[in-house]
Amino acid sequence: MRGHGFLLANYVAGDSLVHRAPLALKFLLVFACGLASFVTVDWRMSLGMLGALCGLFLLSGAGPKRLWGAVRPLAAVLLVIGLFQWWQLGAPTAGRIVLNILVCVVAASLLTATTPVHKLLDGVVRAAGPFKRFGADPERFALTIGIMLRSIPYIAGTFADVRDSARARGLERNPRALVLPVFITSVAFARQTGEALAARGLGEADDEAED
Amino acid sequence: MPNVTFDQAAVTVPVDHLPEPKVLLDGVNLQLTERRVGVIGANGSGKSTFLRLVNGLVQPSSGRVLVDGADTVRSVRAVRRTVGFVFTDPLSQLVMPTGREDVELSLRRSVKNGAERRRQAEDALDRLGLLHLADQSIYELSGGERQLVALAAVLAVEPAVLVLDEPSTLLDLRNRELLRRTLAGLDQQIIMSTHDLDMALDMDRVLVIDQGKVVFDGAAAPAVAAYRALCLASLDAQEAQP
Repeated sequence: MRGHGFLLANYVAGDSLVHRAPLALKFLLVFACGLASFVTVDWRMSLGMLGALCGLFLLSGAGPKRLWGAVRPLAAVLLVIGLFQWWQLGAPTAGRIVLNILVCVVAASLLTATTPVHKLLDGVVRAAGPFKRFGADPERFALTIGIMLRSIPYIAGTFADVRDSARARGLERNPRALVLPVFITSVAFARQTGEALAARGLGEADDEAED
Repeated sequence: MPNVTFDQAAVTVPVDHLPEPKVLLDGVNLQLTERRVGVIGANGSGKSTFLRLVNGLVQPSSGRVLVDGADTVRSVRAVRRTVGFVFTDPLSQLVMPTGREDVELSLRRSVKNGAERRRQAEDALDRLGLLHLADQSIYELSGGERQLVALAAVLAVEPAVLVLDEPSTLLDLRNRELLRRTLAGLDQQIIMSTHDLDMALDMDRVLVIDQGKVVFDGAAAPAVAAYRALCLASLDAQEAQP
């Protein structure tokens, strides 16, 4: 199974300003970028944000290759979205939508490329702390984020494998031959992951009563 | 050694087109106290169901399974603290992007201090000679390395019993040997299913499972011989059919 088709960049050790920035600030940046994608109305503003984020990414030392690696898997989808929006709403709107998606992906990649996963999870646990009084388990929040980070490359890798299999059988133009196996494999992966977590006693409540 | 007890444990599942439920495991009654226990049998014979009962991943339809007196249904969390489980495919078991992070994940519940957790994770990897792979993506590891990282993640919480479900099936000869040597050095009680008869011969006691029944229970060499005879008889019977 290929697993390198990672939508978000892997952590790169470093001592840059971005690496040293507080986790809360980086979380805020990602949140703000997500929010901005809803409120930005001018594609030039989106382009400026994307430029600034790419600059920060390169400043962190994670490298252009990783930046491209984070964006590349989206290229085909963005092209389709861009063309459709151009046809429907015109070039400025299409440009804004595509750029806003890229802003979100690069911001998220900046977070994952400059923050080790264990620190990310500790941050999630701290951020989810206040929900404890409502019966929520912060560790489960962290586990969910961890599984999400792990699942993205798996599913991307599955898609690459399925596409190769479809090509080998001359079915690369058949969407069913691509989508269905990825869907089935993903469900099987989710089931296996759940079983593996249960076997390791992860995701269980701390104070659950037993006989 | 811990004591794993199967008390008339049976597992059945309903099948749509059949009037009776299908029997996956048929009333197993035994105690496992040996340090190394092997489980062999054909694909679909019930080996995985047998092993999953020990960790509480599968619940018996009737009877019960006890690990040091703890019922795998009523005290499943206590049982899982005692019994570690290693799956055939480490990719479905490793949840985090790198080995270090996955081992740390195992320790999150028991070790709250981040620095201490990191130290213990490194210790767990180092014990299996994997520290140099700690920060590599799990996708960049070989099959054997991945399986050992999965093993380190399970061993980090120091279970008394280690259950392994065909851990060598996806490994080449070198990695299989590496795994075999690693397992030989562990203090835990090991209960392992395998198709590798060399590994089975390392065990103190071997169970042969066929169609949900334990058809042989004894020392390794006679168990392997019984399994071979069973396979040959099954093939002969198939060929004799018109």
